Amino acid sequence: MKIKVFISVFVLITGLASGVYFFRPHVFHGTVIQSPEQAFDFTLTDVNGDVSLSDYRGKLVLIYFGYTFCPDICPATLANVAQALRTMDTKADDVQLIMISLDPERDTPKKLAEYVAHFHPSFIGITGSKEQLDETASLYGIFYEKTEGAVNTGYMIDHTATLLVIDREGYLKLVFPFGVTAAEIADDLKYMLRQ
Amino acid sequence: MKNYLLNGIYGLLGFIVISAFAFKIFQPIQVLPRMQLSPAFNLIDQNNERLTSEDLRGQFVIFNFTYTNCPAPCYNMNATIQEVQSRLDEIELGDIKVSFVTISFDPDRDTAPVLQTYVDSINADTERWSFATTPNKDLLKTIIGSGFETYYEDKGDGTFAFDPTFVLVDGWGIVRAEYRYSTEVSLADRILRHLGVLADEVRNSTGSAKLAYEAAHLFLCYAP
Repeated sequence: MKIKVFISVFVLITGLASGVYFFRPHVFHGTVIQSPEQAFDFTLTDVNGDVSLSDYRGKLVLIYFGYTFCPDICPATLANVAQALRTMDTKADDVQLIMISLDPERDTPKKLAEYVAHFHPSFIGITGSKEQLDETASLYGIFYEKTEGAVNTGYMIDHTATLLVIDREGYLKLVFPFGVTAAEIADDLKYMLRQ
Repeated sequence: MKNYLLNGIYGLLGFIVISAFAFKIFQPIQVLPRMQLSPAFNLIDQNNERLTSEDLRGQFVIFNFTYTNCPAPCYNMNATIQEVQSRLDEIELGDIKVSFVTISFDPDRDTAPVLQTYVDSINADTERWSFATTPNKDLLKTIIGSGFETYYEDKGDGTFAFDPTFVLVDGWGIVRAEYRYSTEVSLADRILRHLGVLADEVRNSTGSAKLAYEAAHLFLCYAP
């Protein structure tokens, strides 16, 4: 009798521990947004023409606001995303990174295309008029402004450095802070792709 | 032996289901939803100095939207803010600063000097309360209308039709609550309760407790 009670208790505790482990909520490395509305559907321009967020329904879309003259945080973030995608093998086909340049004066669509291709062949670089960028950046919580730079670099653009993830249905799902690692990005993206 | 194994498994499944229901029903932890990103902005305040969304990072911010020519009592919006300010010591905020930003959708008339005169007239505490706008009306419409999802419309006779709204934004720039005007429930009570819930989450959502808070978000355990 005692041994049967012991087995029952053992199964209960082991199962409980396993259940807690396997059914625990995924702890995202970014901040989860539970927006009831789809993210703003911008239309901006890449080297091949107009690009809208809604063109990528069915994929996870990572949106990053930056510019090609950006000295440090933009290349660091793009390199991390590229590395994350490389670790995801074929699952990376369901992820699209879009870099939105906040510097349309210097970042032509052609220059943007060359820039983002250095990081990953699937990356897209888009930009637009100041009015379009003001609207898009504001609605994605991205503050930006021109500041003076060194003589040899010209002006700089200070900007919010978050990396945004739009889910397959077009809802803003996740906001990564600057400094998130490639492994953390890959971990969250893989989880989202399993949903 | 087999029966005992089955009993153990049934007991386990029952425990998990009951725990999930109990968490949802009794809501041991309450949170505020992370509704959307607050729009970014670059405004001019009553001191003719710029006020940006980045300046407010790390603080809880209560936004509202109005114009200084709004006939008094103008939905009691100022009175609500002043009541919340006077009762902030009722909640445990720790080091978290709470700021208030009133954005005018009438930039033609609400210039910085006019805003300053208005601040003086209502005796606003400018240590934590800013009044601001931008002459770029298109961008203003984007910020207030699309970003904060608050309706306003220039009636063309010097008045505006608008939805008197308060929006609570957390230190990460995420909208956590919206308050549409109500005459039945004290908005000040509700805003204060929500500020307390948010402060609790910031203070306690670390380490293993973060899992519990994420579960509260998952189960939609939202503070009323």
